[in-house]
Amino acid sequence: MFHAGVPSEEVWLVKMPCERKPMRYGHSEGHTEVCFDDSGRYIVTCGNDGDVRIWESLDDDDPKFITVGEKAYSLALKKGKLVTASSNNTVQIHTFPDGDPDGILTRFTTNATHVTFNSSGSRVAAGSSDFMVKVVEVSDSSQQKTLRGHEAPVLSVSFDPKNQYLASASCDGSVVVWNIEEQTQVISWPLLQKTNDVSNARSLCRLAFQPAAGEFLAVPVETRVHLYERGSWDHFGTLSDDLLTQPINVVAWSMCSRFLAAGSVGGFLTVWDVSSKLCVERQKHEKGFTVCSLAWHPSGGQIAYTDTEGCLGLLDGLGTSTAVTSSTKALAKKCAEDYDDLFDEDDDRLMDEGLGDANSPAKKPAVGEDEDEDDIMIPSTGRVRNRGAILDDENSLDTGSLKLGQDKFGDDDDGSSVAPAAAPLVPLRPFYEGPVPTPPQKAFQPGSTPAHLTHRFMMWNSVGIVRGYNDEQDNAIDVEFHDTAVHHAMHLTNSLGHTMADLSQEAVLLACPSTEELASKLQCLHFSSWDTNKEWMVDLPTGEDVKALCLGQGWAAVATSSLLLRLFSIGGVQREIFSVSGPVVCMAGHGEQLLVVYHRAMGFDGEQALGVQLLQFGRKNRQLINGEPLPLSPKSYLSWLGFTAEGTPCYVDSDGLVRMLNRSLGNTWTPVCNTRETCKSKSDHYWVVGVHENPQQLRCIPSKGSRYPPTLPRPAVAILPFKLPLCQTSTEKGQMEEQYWRSVLFHNHYNFLSTSGYEIDESAQTQSVKEQQELLMKMFALSCKLEREFRCVELAELMTQNVVTLAIRYASRSRRMNLAQRLSEIALDKSNQLQEEEPEVPEEELENSSTRRTSGYRQTEPAGDPYGSRENQEYDEELGEEEDGGEMETEERMETKKRPNPFAKEAGSPVKPSLMPIGKAGRSNPFKVAGSGKSTPSPGHSRVTNILDNMTSSKKLAPLSGSSGKSNKSPILKPLAPRAKTKAQSTLLQISGNKMANKKTPEAAEPAPDPQRQPDAAAPEPPTENTENKRPRTGFQLWLDENRKMIIGDNPDLDETDVIKEAMGRFRTLSAEERLAWTERAKGQTGDAADVKKRKRAEGGGGAEKETVESDENDAKKKKSLDPSSKLSAFAFNKN
Amino acid sequence: MDPSEVEFLAEKEFVKIIPNFSLDKIYLIGGDLGPFNPGLPVDVPVWLALNLKQRQKCRILPLEWMDVEKLEEIRELERKEDAFTPAPSPYYMELTKLLLNHASDNIPKADEIRTLVKDIWDTRIAKLRLSADSFIRQQEAHAQLDNLTLMEINTIREFLLDSLNCMYKLRSNLQPGSTKGQFADY
Repeated sequence: MFHAGVPSEEVWLVKMPCERKPMRYGHSEGHTEVCFDDSGRYIVTCGNDGDVRIWESLDDDDPKFITVGEKAYSLALKKGKLVTASSNNTVQIHTFPDGDPDGILTRFTTNATHVTFNSSGSRVAAGSSDFMVKVVEVSDSSQQKTLRGHEAPVLSVSFDPKNQYLASASCDGSVVVWNIEEQTQVISWPLLQKTNDVSNARSLCRLAFQPAAGEFLAVPVETRVHLYERGSWDHFGTLSDDLLTQPINVVAWSMCSRFLAAGSVGGFLTVWDVSSKLCVERQKHEKGFTVCSLAWHPSGGQIAYTDTEGCLGLLDGLGTSTAVTSSTKALAKKCAEDYDDLFDEDDDRLMDEGLGDANSPAKKPAVGEDEDEDDIMIPSTGRVRNRGAILDDENSLDTGSLKLGQDKFGDDDDGSSVAPAAAPLVPLRPFYEGPVPTPPQKAFQPGSTPAHLTHRFMMWNSVGIVRGYNDEQDNAIDVEFHDTAVHHAMHLTNSLGHTMADLSQEAVLLACPSTEELASKLQCLHFSSWDTNKEWMVDLPTGEDVKALCLGQGWAAVATSSLLLRLFSIGGVQREIFSVSGPVVCMAGHGEQLLVVYHRAMGFDGEQALGVQLLQFGRKNRQLINGEPLPLSPKSYLSWLGFTAEGTPCYVDSDGLVRMLNRSLGNTWTPVCNTRETCKSKSDHYWVVGVHENPQQLRCIPSKGSRYPPTLPRPAVAILPFKLPLCQTSTEKGQMEEQYWRSVLFHNHYNFLSTSGYEIDESAQTQSVKEQQELLMKMFALSCKLEREFRCVELAELMTQNVVTLAIRYASRSRRMNLAQRLSEIALDKSNQLQEEEPEVPEEELENSSTRRTSGYRQTEPAGDPYGSRENQEYDEELGEEEDGGEMETEERMETKKRPNPFAKEAGSPVKPSLMPIGKAGRSNPFKVAGSGKSTPSPGHSRVTNILDNMTSSKKLAPLSGSSGKSNKSPILKPLAPRAKTKAQSTLLQISGNKMANKKTPEAAEPAPDPQRQPDAAAPEPPTENTENKRPRTGFQLWLDENRKMIIGDNPDLDETDVIKEAMGRFRTLSAEERLAWTERAKGQTGDAADVKKRKRAEGGGGAEKETVESDENDAKKKKSLDPSSKLSAFAFNKN
Repeated sequence: MDPSEVEFLAEKEFVKIIPNFSLDKIYLIGGDLGPFNPGLPVDVPVWLALNLKQRQKCRILPLEWMDVEKLEEIRELERKEDAFTPAPSPYYMELTKLLLNHASDNIPKADEIRTLVKDIWDTRIAKLRLSADSFIRQQEAHAQLDNLTLMEINTIREFLLDSLNCMYKLRSNLQPGSTKGQFADY
């Protein structure tokens, strides 16, 4: 992070203690290697031209040369033997300095990449592109050891001075230490980048063991040198230099083992003092070519180096000119003395640099500041996390190494004049190990790609696309609308340099940051304006920059750098202005709502601390969310903010998690989708452009391998489904729970819209409620199956009151009386609530019960209960088909057979006087069984349920009549079902009816002559009547309603059945015209005159109630046939 | 069947378009289409896509296989294999022609795609001719030809049937062992 600018060379070249000799041409272009001979008299190089050149000095214009092959890849020289790796895949020996061939040491299947001698010169190690490392005795080339294990070409090899180990680096990314004798790997570090060939490797990674002491192994890793302790192989420390920005190619130890020189890509030459870990020398290749080999003069005063262009260079006067002595102790001492001086000088230099140059380590304490500057570009690259990690890493590493260095330094030079000079270096980096502040993310426009791109989306939203072009030829903005009906496409020249844009159905809003001369400007193209002036522009006060903007309906909002939020009307009138409590990150507008996200505080450890405000303008100006924290995924940042098409706030973070406001749960945020889950590869992303709640759609653009889509080729929108992150969504239960809660969440907007006075689609709303209830019923059934009665009750709490009655029925059918009882309590509660809420219900109820009364007559037959058994059978079928068939079925059948008895008792006495309950008896029969069977002493109870049932049906009927004007698509609106189903159904009905009435076997009853009419007419009428019973049902009913009193008055002693019989007789005596008139009236009442089926049905002469019930059943049946998987849903469904 | 009829059949294939208008579902005999939301891709038959395109009501998204790399792969495979490889689409030739003629601006690298498809077509037709040739030479009674598209069958049908008929006539004249036949053989 401190490489922003390399200090001009002159600054420190002047002070360099060494002299950089001018480069000279040595070999043809390509990899070139250099070494000194043992005495230091000659510089020996080899290169791409296949020659080994022996230079007496750098100025030697006529060097001796030995041709070793077409190309020479590497050389090593020791004790008069010159070993080269040449292009004919061999490692050869030549005598030195004569250059006579001395045989072939070893061969590989491809060329060797690096050869090296051990310290005594008895062995040669060679690494090859065929992944192998060989260790060969020089005296006897038959004694070879092959080290296998690398999985890519070997980059370099180095002998341990004690001849025990060998280190090698390979393109497979590993650095391996081998035990030579055992030919095994001692340790392997994955340090490097993987490549497939030496030529592609970022670095040659010429590692090196410390000579003499052999204490350390130096491995160049990127821009640092790692030091590993021999034996323990612990990471001892790292040598680094801030000015080194390119990977280090090669490291070489001075003979005294104290200094380490490194040459890097880009031509940096650096020398460290290993004990203090300080950089003592920096040089740069005069042309910046990559240094690919370097060698210390045996005396230590010179470094020869070569580059990849075949040139040879020399650094002279390094001040390490100590004579090589055999005694390392003496050497070390000498070195120390020498380097005291060196340090002095060097530290001074560093200090000066520090004062004059922002890039020196002296500025390190200002970490925060630096990061601020640095991170201006972070949000645009979209990699805050990675970047944060790198920063972390860098800091900790540096701190560690520096600490080590400091200790050493102190020990070595305590009390010397160096210490005070070095002191300023020590506190350069703070030893702060707590949480690291996260760079706050920059302001952005949701739906835009980063501003540094030449071709970018400035805005992609549900209205259209704003594209910005900023290349040499053109600086322009294209506005395009998804719907061309809104406006035609526009092309604007972007002379002001706008960087932000927003687009709505009314206008395009553009803004540019301020420049030196010009203030930050806001430009609005109000294309929907009805006057001729369709554009306005506003200058912001000097020093105030637009940071974010958005458009709503009739207004525009601009957040500025001075933490102000300015509102404008769409025509350009300045409106409210207020302060935001932090730097704004982004804004979104929808209708009258404005959503602002800003930095609430400084985040730590990669987290952003964002706050959110939601305001509503218009009639009731108010703040809905008052600066609450915005929850983000760990270590992520905000990447999109907006509203759903229905107006619910929504946002996406960089982890791809979409969250939506849950207004019904105190304005909390619920994650509704994880876009990363659907990505195929890790680098793929979805770029969200819009969210719709109805239908549930997440509109986004898949972008392969990046966060942002390119402008060309034009990306296409994809649709992702939503999924709440509930547990165990692979199970049926989890799935239904997810569906239910998602449905609830995504239909919250109806409430909001209706409370804020918008029109809502009521049919869609009822549809959604129905869907939810259906799901609840399914879950209920599932829990029942799993014997989870408590859970059933919990689910029932969520149900609407009329679905609870269904649940009750289901429960009693499956012989869960306890459950049914509890449910009935819930139903009671719910009905009470309902009554409190809706006082008008009773009226409706009255109305309904009156119609039902008539129908009741038909059902009060002693045989009774055709419905109960029929439904039961139906249920049998369903269950049988659906799941555990056999067992359940038999169970149910048994129950069916048993049933008539208890019911008959009840029907015999207490029910008769009250018509209404009887009417209901048919419907809620199963529950009645439960009630009478289990708790006969509580007649009140059964009455309660009857009342409830009435309410159910009244509720049910209310929407029926209310919504009859609407489309016929909705299943509830179909009072009558297709004919086809009736047959089977009525057959069933008849079976049961017969079974009970005549105690016949079902088989005997099977061939019923007229299955359609008979059940409707049921037992009461004699069969003779039945056949001619072709009166219009509703007409008769109406007529009956009017004439009942008369009939009763005429025959006061008739009971209900007889009344009807009588009524029928009278009605038949009416003239055809009259009857027709009644029919017409009836039709007019139901409002469904055209429904042929209904009329047909009506001919059956059934009661209204029965009709409805039956049709409901039919609905259920029909639904079942359509969707066998949701049989149970049929119940939920028809009750709505 | 002439090529225009085959093309007509190809027009029932579905293609994704991005409409720039908004329309509810439309109910047609062949099935429901839509709803059309501006900016949102929707599947429609080619005939409708082209119609909308000509009225500048939509942008056609290239079919999945209409991609230079994929087609190059197919071409190579087609050249390598002796038998017919599965065509990218049963109507690849027709669709390419239709879409590239009417909506080349919506399909990136339209020219390259045109060339590639033509290459594939040529390779396949050459194979077809070759196999027809050997079929006749060896006087086979039947042959198996997999992965042929309707258009390809159509191009060779007339010629092949006519020539087979012709040859049959010639051969049946030859059968009775008349001198005429013998003569013709020389």
